[in-house]
Amino acid sequence: MLIRKLFRTAWNYKSQFISMVIMIAIGVGIFLGFNMEWKSLEHDAITFLEETNYADFRIYSESGFTEDDIKAIQDIDGVDAATRYFNINVGIKDTKKSVALNVSENYTVSTMLVMDGAQYDESSDGIWLSDKFADANDIKIGDELTFTYTGAEISGKVAGLVKSGENLICVADENQLMPDYEAFGFAYVTPKTLEKVLGMAFYPQINIISDMGKADLEEEIKDATGTTFLVTTKDEHYSYAGVMSEAEEGKTMGSILPVLFLAIAILTMVTTMHRISANEKVQIGTLKALGFRDRKILMHYTSYGLMIGLIGLVLGVVLGYIVASLIISPNGMMSTYLDLPGWDLVMPGFCIPVMAVMLVFLTLISFLSVKKMLKGTAADALRPYTPKAMKKSIIEKLPFWNKLPFGTKWNIRDILRHKSRSAMTLVGVIGCTVLLVGGLGMKDTMESFLGMLDNDISNYTTKVILSESAANEDSIALANKVNGDWQASSGISYEGKTITLDIYSADGGKVGFLTEENELMNLTDDGVYLCLRLKDTAKIGDTIEFSPYGSEETYKVKVAGYTRSLVSECIVMTDTYADSIGIEYHIGSIYTDKASEDIENSAIISGKQDKDTIMDSYDTFMEIMNVMIVVLVVAAVVLGIVVLYNLGVMSYVERHRELATLKVLGFRDKHIGKLLISQNIWLTVIGVLLGIPAGVGVLNVLITALVSEYELSLTLGILTYVVSIALTFGVSLLVGLMVSRKNKKIDMVEALKGVE
Amino acid sequence: MSIVEFKDVTRVYTSGDHELRALDGVSFTLDEGKFVVILGPSGAGKSTLLNMLGGLDSPTGGQIIVNGKDISTLSNNELADYRASTVGFVFQFYNLIPTLTVYENVALVKDISKDAIDPKKMIAEVGLADHLHNFPSELSGGEQQRVSIARALAKNPKILLCDEPTGALDSETGVLVLKLLLSMAKNYGKTIVVVTHNQNIAKMADVVIRVKNGKIKSYEEQTAPMSADEVEW
Repeated sequence: MLIRKLFRTAWNYKSQFISMVIMIAIGVGIFLGFNMEWKSLEHDAITFLEETNYADFRIYSESGFTEDDIKAIQDIDGVDAATRYFNINVGIKDTKKSVALNVSENYTVSTMLVMDGAQYDESSDGIWLSDKFADANDIKIGDELTFTYTGAEISGKVAGLVKSGENLICVADENQLMPDYEAFGFAYVTPKTLEKVLGMAFYPQINIISDMGKADLEEEIKDATGTTFLVTTKDEHYSYAGVMSEAEEGKTMGSILPVLFLAIAILTMVTTMHRISANEKVQIGTLKALGFRDRKILMHYTSYGLMIGLIGLVLGVVLGYIVASLIISPNGMMSTYLDLPGWDLVMPGFCIPVMAVMLVFLTLISFLSVKKMLKGTAADALRPYTPKAMKKSIIEKLPFWNKLPFGTKWNIRDILRHKSRSAMTLVGVIGCTVLLVGGLGMKDTMESFLGMLDNDISNYTTKVILSESAANEDSIALANKVNGDWQASSGISYEGKTITLDIYSADGGKVGFLTEENELMNLTDDGVYLCLRLKDTAKIGDTIEFSPYGSEETYKVKVAGYTRSLVSECIVMTDTYADSIGIEYHIGSIYTDKASEDIENSAIISGKQDKDTIMDSYDTFMEIMNVMIVVLVVAAVVLGIVVLYNLGVMSYVERHRELATLKVLGFRDKHIGKLLISQNIWLTVIGVLLGIPAGVGVLNVLITALVSEYELSLTLGILTYVVSIALTFGVSLLVGLMVSRKNKKIDMVEALKGVE
Repeated sequence: MSIVEFKDVTRVYTSGDHELRALDGVSFTLDEGKFVVILGPSGAGKSTLLNMLGGLDSPTGGQIIVNGKDISTLSNNELADYRASTVGFVFQFYNLIPTLTVYENVALVKDISKDAIDPKKMIAEVGLADHLHNFPSELSGGEQQRVSIARALAKNPKILLCDEPTGALDSETGVLVLKLLLSMAKNYGKTIVVVTHNQNIAKMADVVIRVKNGKIKSYEEQTAPMSADEVEW
C-alpha cells in the first residue's frame, strides 16, 4: 500500500518532482558531457596518434639531414624508431589550393591510416591524399594530381585516401586557426617519388619515437652526430599541442559549469524536500499514529529522494552522452578541427563515484528532511508544520518602514521569513545571468579578437609564401616590387621553451601591432617586444637571452615593450634591430595589397594566400562558438525557468491561504498578481546586480584558461549586458505571470476551510 | 426594506457525471439591520448559501439581489469589487495574514475600500489598542478573532458575514466575541448573517433560517430574541 502512496504523492507534487529531476539531469548532463568531452578527446586522439606512429620528438635542419645523421640517431639506445622526414607546403597546379606534402623515408614513424584504396607501398609512385581534402574537393581514387614546389612538379595518381597523426590538425601555418579542407589538405608520397623529382634525398626533418627526456635525447644526438640540434617535443607540435589544449579547455569547462549546475540542483532539492515533508507532516503523523515504525516511514519518504535522484541521474547520463556527442562524433563540433578516424565516447573514471556520491547526497537530503518532521511523539508529528513565528527584523526599525505600502511590507517579510527559498531564487537568477553574460561575452570577446586580426593586424590582401631556398636579396626585391612588408619567422629557445622569433619590416603598414590595450603601435628599433604570454618573464628595459634553433649562439637583447600576439607565442623585432645585433634570418613571407593573380609566379614563391581565405577559416571556428553560446543561453533560460517556477509554486502554495484571504477581502486578481510578481522582480534585480560581476569573473577565468592558445582580451558589448538583463528579467516575468495566473484559480472557499 | 433577496437560487456542483445540488431553489428576503442566523447540519448547504451571498461563488440558477443589485452574473473583477465594498467576512479560523501586524492587517482594507473607517479606531473598539504592532501569532485565538472583526468592519460594508465565528474558540471566549460582534454590528447599523450549528446563537437572532438538503426547511422571525446574557451557554 505504501508503494501505491509513493507514486500518488509523487504525482501530487509533480511540478516539484519534475523540476528537481530536470535540475539534476541538467547538472549531471553538463558534468558528464564536458568531462566525457575532454576524456574522449584525449583517448581518441592518443589512440590514433599511436596507431599512426606519431613522433615524440622532431629535429630540424634547413640544409637537410644526411644518411649518416639518421643512422647515428637510429643507433642511439632508447630511440625506438626514427626517420628522415619531409613536410613542406606545396601548391596544387592551376589552383589556389595547397597541401602539406609528407614523406617518411623509413615508414615506421609518422605513418598514416588508409581509409580507402591501396595500402602504402614504397615502390609506388602514387599519392595518398587526405580523405577530407579529397571529399571537400571531389577528388577520387585514380585521379591525377600535380603538386608544384619551387618550380618543380610532382605528379601522380591518387592511390589511397588517408588520415595521419602528423596532420591531425590540418592547418597551413599557425595563423590558420581552423582547418579548411577545401583550401588546404595533406598528402603523402613515397621517398622514391620525392627523390626522383628533387634529384636527391632532401629531408629537413627527423622524427623520432622515444621515451627519453628532451635533455637526454639532445645530449645523445650531440654525441652521435657531433652537432647540436634543438629537439622539439610533441608538446610543441601543433597536432599534439592542439589536442591537449582543447582537452585542457574541456577540463576547465568541465569543472566550472557543472559545479554551478550541481550546486543549484542540490540546493533546489534541499528547499523542495523540506517543503514537501512540511506539507506531508500530518500524513507522517498519521502513519506514525497508525503504528508504523519510524524506520518504515523514514524509508518511505527517503525513497522519494532516491527515486528523484535515480530518474535524474539516468536522464542526466543520457543528456551527458548527447552533449558529449554534439562535440565528439564524426559530425560533431570537434570534427571540423581534428581529423580523427574514430570518435568513441569515454567516461573519466571519477564520474561514476561522483554520481554515486550525488545520489547518496540526494537521498540523504530527503532522509534528513523527514527525520526532522518525525521528531517527538505521534501527537507532535500530527500537528501541522508551522513556519517560524514572525519577528521584527532590523529593517523595520528604519524610519521609512511605516510609510511603505502593505504589499511591500508583506513581500519583504515573506522574503525574510523564507530565507532559504529567497536565497535559492537569488542563486537561480545569478546562475541565469552568469551563463548569459559568460556565453554572450565569450562571443563578444571572440568577435573583437577576429576584428582586430582582420582589421588592425592584417592590412594586406595577399600573403606571399617564399620558398626555403629564396635568397633574402631576391625576397626584398620582390617585396619592394609589390610594395609589401615582409616577415622572417624562426624558432628560438627562450627560457627553456621553443617559441617563435618574428622579424618584421613593416614600414608599409601591411602588418599591424597592438599594445596590451588593443591600440596600434609602432615597433622601435632599439629592442625586442615580448608577446603578452611572456610578459611575466621580463620587465621593459631588462636584457633577455635567447638562442636560435639548432645553434649554440646566444643573443642578448633589450626588452623594448610588449605586444599582443593574437595567435603565436613569440618575440618580435624590426629588421633594423635584427641587423644591428647581427642575427641571421630567412625571409619567409611578404604581405602585400596586390591581388594574388597580379603577382608574377617565380621560383622563389612557393605559395600565395588571400587574406579572405585565411579569415574564412575563422568562420568555422565562430560557428562552433555560436553553437556553444546557444547551448549556454538555452541552459541559462531553462535553469532560470525551472528554478524560479519551482520556487514560485512553492511560495504560492505557502501563501495560498493568505492569497485566498486577500481575494475574499475584495482584492482583484490583478492586484494580487502584481504583489506576487513584484517579489520575484526584487529578487531578480538583486540577482542580476550580483550575477553580472560574477559572470564577468567566470568569463575572465575561462579567458585566462584559453590564453595559452590565443591572447584574448575580455570584451563585453553593451548589447550583451542589455540582452543578459532583458532575458533574465524576461524569464523572471514569465515565471511570475505563470505563477500569478494560478492565483485566479484559487478556490476561496476551499482555501479558507480549516487550518492547513 | 429588504437588503438581500434570493430568488429561486440553485447551485449544482458537477464532477464528472456526478451531480451535487448544494442549493436547490432557495428563495428568501432579509431586511436591513437584522441579525440573521442560518442553522443546519453539516452538508446541508448553509455555507454554500453564505458563499453565494458573499460573492465567493456564483449560482448556477436563479438571482441574488443585494442592495438593489443582481450579483449572480457579475464578472470576477466585479465580484471582487462587490466583496470590497458590500460585504465583510469573519471566519472560523480568523484568516489573518501572518506576516502583517494587527494594525497592518486592518489597514490592508484601505487599499480596496473607498470609505474605510480609520483602522486605529476600529482596533481600539475591539479592545486591542495595546496590540497594534503585534503579529497574529503573538495573540490568543479570541484576540485574533477580534482583529478579524475589526478588519471586516473597517471596510464599512453593508453586511457582515460570519462562518462559525466562535467555532474555534472555547465557550467563554466565544460568548465574549459574539457579544462584541453583535454590539459592533448594532452600533454601525450592519446587517449580520451568521452560519452556525450552535442552537444557542439562534436564540439571539431576529431571523432564523433552517437549511436541510439544499432547501429552506423553515424561515422564522423571532419577535423577542434573547440577549447573550440570557442565553444559557
